[in-house]
Amino acid sequence: MRALAALTCLVVAGCATSSLVLLPDEEGHQGAVAVLEANGKPTEAVIADGNSRTRLGDPTPASKPLGEQGLKKQEAALLTGLPPPAKSFLLYFDQGTVRLVPESARMLATLREEIAARSGPEVEVIGHTDTVGSQEDNDRLSIGRAEEVMNWLVSQGFDKSQLSAVGRGERELKEATADNVNSAVNRRVEVIVR
Amino acid sequence: MLRWPLIAVLIALLAAAPATAEIARIKQSSGAAVVQRGEQKLKPAPGLQLLAGDSLITGKDGRMSLTFVDNTRFAVGPNSRVSVSEFQYDRTRQKGSFVTQVDRGSLAVVSGKIAKSNRDAMKVRTPNTLLGVRGTKFIVEVPD
Repeated sequence: MRALAALTCLVVAGCATSSLVLLPDEEGHQGAVAVLEANGKPTEAVIADGNSRTRLGDPTPASKPLGEQGLKKQEAALLTGLPPPAKSFLLYFDQGTVRLVPESARMLATLREEIAARSGPEVEVIGHTDTVGSQEDNDRLSIGRAEEVMNWLVSQGFDKSQLSAVGRGERELKEATADNVNSAVNRRVEVIVR
Repeated sequence: MLRWPLIAVLIALLAAAPATAEIARIKQSSGAAVVQRGEQKLKPAPGLQLLAGDSLITGKDGRMSLTFVDNTRFAVGPNSRVSVSEFQYDRTRQKGSFVTQVDRGSLAVVSGKIAKSNRDAMKVRTPNTLLGVRGTKFIVEVPD
């Protein structure tokens, strides 16, 4: 199939001119795109120039800066259409309980607004504990914390199909500690809003 | 007498069950746009859950945007056919593999956790090129 597609491309002029526009991400970091295959042949080219345009299909592609013309109108429109980045919230709990510390309880309203502002939201709630107590108890406590947050979101009118909760117990400490160490930083729920 | 047909139906249902793990959700769509899943054509309403193997197809005024469970984000432009041919993601280990095929049209991508998890864990295929994504934002265009 692929060979046929490549052949069609060679015969029908114009179709081989796929192109790549490489841009810095929202935080200003510049990543790269490797060309692993061009017209069915393996290559080792890497496109790493930010704000550049590259015609694809050549085993040694040459990137050109976007320059003053910048993006084409339809490219700019495409970028405008990207969904907002995922946003993460951290909520903290009192020792050994599913009760939020007051500062985190106050943050719930911000969380609710963030979800409500998104189209087709998906919310992942991940519970954690510190290392006080047994691993089994902490598995239960961590999912309990995640469900506490999820149930509050349900009580605010969000549909369960938008929400999921998991508990990771004491396996993913934010602050590395020995066993049976009380840590306010580790007693947390991370909420990822997509 | 009823039992065997019932079992046959159950087996058929099991065999026909698609990969049901959610990989992404539609955020927005406009104009002529469908999600093709096997023979089914689904309306890309906000919140629609996508599965591995789904194709995103737009007409001349169509657009779609979506966010994947690894935080990758897509915007699909007009006259496009984009398929997620492979998507595996372990939420706990935050590792996976992701292959997208752009047959025609345009796709803007902001890569997420899969691209960060291993070198070239995220790939994009066009009719003449296979790209390995190394953590970035980019646009792929494949003219008709």
